[in-house]
Amino acid sequence: MATYLEFIQQNEERDGVRFSWNVWPSSRLEATRMVVPLACLLTPLKERLDLPPVQYEPVLCSRQTCKAVLNPLCQVDYRAKLWACNFCFQRNQFPPAYAGISEINQPAELMPQFSTIEYIVQRGSPTPLIFLYVVDTCLEEEDLQALKESLQMSLSLLPPEALVGLITFGRMVQVHELSCEGISKSYVFRGTKDLTAKQIQDMLGLTRPVVPVQQGRPLQPQEQPPISSRFLQPIHKIDMNLTDLLGELQRDPWPVTQGKRPLRSTGVALSIAVGLLEGTFPNTGARIMLFTGGPPTQGPGMVVGDELKTPIRSWHDIEKDNARFMKKATKHYEILANRTAANGHCIDIYACALDQTGLLEMKCCANLTGGHMVMGDSFNTSLFKQTFQRVFSKDFNGEFRMAFGATLEVKTSRELKISGAIGPCVSLNAKGPCVSENELGIGGTCQWKICSLDPSSTLAIYFEVVNQHNAPIPQGGRGAAQFVTQYQHSSTQRRIRVTTIARNWADAQSQLQHIEAAFDQEAAAVLMARLGVYRAESEEGPDVLRWLDRQLIRLCQKFGQYNKDDPNSFRLSDSFSLYPQFMFHLRRSPFLQVFNNSPDESSYYRHHFARQDLTQSLIMIQPILYSYSFSGPPEPVLLDSSSILADRILLMDTFFQIVIYLGETIAQWQKAGYQDMPEYENFKHLLQAPLDDAQEILQTRFPMPRYINTEHGGSQARFLLSKVNPSQTHNNLYAWGQESGSPILTDDVSLQVFMDHLKKLAVSSAS
Amino acid sequence: MRGRDVAMAERYVKPGNKERGWNDPPQFSYGLQIQCGGPKRHHLARRVPGPADGAPQAPPPANSAPPAVPAALASKPVGPPPLAVVSPALRPDAAKQVASLAEEECEVKVDDVLAPLNETLSMCRNIVQKQVCDDISRRLAVFRELWLQGKLSAPVRKRMNILVQELQRQHWDVADEIHRSLMVDHVNEVSQWMVGIKRLIAEARNLPPGDLVANDEQGAGAQPAEEAL
Repeated sequence: MATYLEFIQQNEERDGVRFSWNVWPSSRLEATRMVVPLACLLTPLKERLDLPPVQYEPVLCSRQTCKAVLNPLCQVDYRAKLWACNFCFQRNQFPPAYAGISEINQPAELMPQFSTIEYIVQRGSPTPLIFLYVVDTCLEEEDLQALKESLQMSLSLLPPEALVGLITFGRMVQVHELSCEGISKSYVFRGTKDLTAKQIQDMLGLTRPVVPVQQGRPLQPQEQPPISSRFLQPIHKIDMNLTDLLGELQRDPWPVTQGKRPLRSTGVALSIAVGLLEGTFPNTGARIMLFTGGPPTQGPGMVVGDELKTPIRSWHDIEKDNARFMKKATKHYEILANRTAANGHCIDIYACALDQTGLLEMKCCANLTGGHMVMGDSFNTSLFKQTFQRVFSKDFNGEFRMAFGATLEVKTSRELKISGAIGPCVSLNAKGPCVSENELGIGGTCQWKICSLDPSSTLAIYFEVVNQHNAPIPQGGRGAAQFVTQYQHSSTQRRIRVTTIARNWADAQSQLQHIEAAFDQEAAAVLMARLGVYRAESEEGPDVLRWLDRQLIRLCQKFGQYNKDDPNSFRLSDSFSLYPQFMFHLRRSPFLQVFNNSPDESSYYRHHFARQDLTQSLIMIQPILYSYSFSGPPEPVLLDSSSILADRILLMDTFFQIVIYLGETIAQWQKAGYQDMPEYENFKHLLQAPLDDAQEILQTRFPMPRYINTEHGGSQARFLLSKVNPSQTHNNLYAWGQESGSPILTDDVSLQVFMDHLKKLAVSSAS
Repeated sequence: MRGRDVAMAERYVKPGNKERGWNDPPQFSYGLQIQCGGPKRHHLARRVPGPADGAPQAPPPANSAPPAVPAALASKPVGPPPLAVVSPALRPDAAKQVASLAEEECEVKVDDVLAPLNETLSMCRNIVQKQVCDDISRRLAVFRELWLQGKLSAPVRKRMNILVQELQRQHWDVADEIHRSLMVDHVNEVSQWMVGIKRLIAEARNLPPGDLVANDEQGAGAQPAEEAL
């Protein structure tokens, strides 16, 4: 049987798509029996160095309810210059510009290697990108100074034509008027009172004066009076003044007495920022960048009071319904987030503090709009500074990676419908023939809006097979889906990326082995994980784990080879063999286990999990572990306590942390200083090797991970010990009698025990 | 040009701020960060499939009695590491050279750097608003002051020297990149005045060609020709 691994990889490289199943069960009934839903991970703006965009408009199907884009799956009659839409079978005339096409002179969009293609289109005059800084001044002096410097630095990193604005806040909220004249002015708002968008716009003098309109003639854009741009100015004009303004920022002047937190009006500050952009620049790419050094303690959106003796809510408080501000605060930010997304803008949160800052309540601001969430200990750390620099990173062509205002539309052939999507997006409530009534994730639509994205942004899209049982397999034997992403490129060009894919149908009853062989266990694990984490946001934790376990058992029952009631006979084919491990680690992960994390930390981890591509998501579920030794090149090893050996160095990547762990003997050698002796130069190389590999990851990842350099017996070794499968614990060390590996003091279930239980349940005739 | 930018930029790694974040990652210079454009195939991405039954490969126990002293817990005396001459690097690519941050000697004089800057500024005065030019001029003065007070480190002084040379050759993008790398790597030294340099580059590149005289020599060049606009 041909392996699908290469097929899967090629498709991912070309189209940025990974499906859970690559041969599709042809009936609804059979599809539900597959347990893992038919779904895909889509990276709409996957970086393609070999894909030059074409500079013309895409050709669309003329049927109003279809409008699919011309693609390689369409049948073409070159003589009659007609093409048949592969989704609705409508016959369409080619536009006049295509008069010269023929079998040997095909337009790019018909060629199979261009199953993914990008168009640059003209859609009105280009609008500039906007960066609105919203800055907390209730910071320690050192932190404020570091933040100011980072902001000044960022002015040099912005796209030169961008507009910038500045709002600072503490007890009050100040909207700074940016001018090239000497005196700087600002509008001050009380931090306790929320205002409507209209009130904000009125108070800032942004209301558009009424212009008399000629009867029957719509107002042309250039006739409209210019909106006051006193608060948002082009960076190339205002950079010097803004640099000075930032340099002069002071700490919030209101004194903070002993035992109190500073009064921080984050809720109103964000509200004003959203209202300001709403009134002046709706529907153009804009980032509201919130920099905060502590929790909101005043006004709408406050997360905790100003008494230090009342700690900010923990998971325990939330469980006991003892988080008095949580519901109201969350609602405040959700309303803001939805408005922001409707306006096509995004909100980034850069939160640096030793205590929580309210990420739990504010997370929707980043999650619904596609904005970033960065969590650090202080603005004066390399983690914040470099992560922030990377917001402005450029691709291979020297263009900014960030993109704005994307709408994703999904079309399917008629045997499939769309159940929903999970990722950094909002629904556009677009009904249509492709939309299923059974919702998974953000459903009830075939279009979503992603206000901010980059080449790694990945959505999970869930489908439903609707073909009736025993209905014949559709003619041509293949189902298809098309993903159309329209967006604003960082150069302000409008672009459209179109990906069209097809997969074979198969009858599950007679061809199960084909369906099985084409299972993508990595994609399936991430797709199920996203579903689980999505559910965990609204359901009880134990319920989600039970659901996850139940699905795993059913999958093993369906696809395992075994003799009934004989656990030892249980086997899984290669295409499923890693899946139970992924599920085991997922259950233990901080995405589903909130114990030992604050609500803010859990929100942070979940935020990143819901948007990363497959490789990074898998790292988050099951961290990578590499072992370095004298006996050869570094090799991947089991994420297991047995991999922790005295004469090895381990490098663990959890996505959020890079851990380098020196085994006991290595640590002793290092302490003895062998690396400094010339005759032991190989030891010096050994110590350096994981550092170099770590460097590669540290140089590129967003957000920048924490970096832990530890050794056997070190307190920070716990980062490694808590992740590895505890195959040897204090409970079973002697039962094995083996000498290798380090026992872990835990009562957690090990993978072996987990697998034993799984096998027992899968083979049981009682289940 | 990208390769040249990278060659000009500093490449170093500093430790993170351990006082503010005990697991703060190291800080990479701008030069090291921008060289990583394009999708990187993450080479540490392999996993080892566990054995079908989930248990790691363990040799069957020789006997059922536990060993008298579990080796993992005993602290036996450890000999030195193996002496064998291993192939030069355990990894195919050699470890990256990390430039030391030791104070480099910089013998450039401030006025050699300032003269071309002031020259470019005077060329701009024909077209650019007086206020902007005055602002730039003010910042050049701050730059000079800080230099003379010894408050600018050697890398900053050296790279400013390179920047003005590129400016004189009208290599605007290169000069811009150098300004950017200095802002990222040395923001606390340069933030007050570097935006003036940034602006100067931006305004100079927009000047009509006749207003600019290509100047390949360091120091004072020919007088710019008076051009009717």
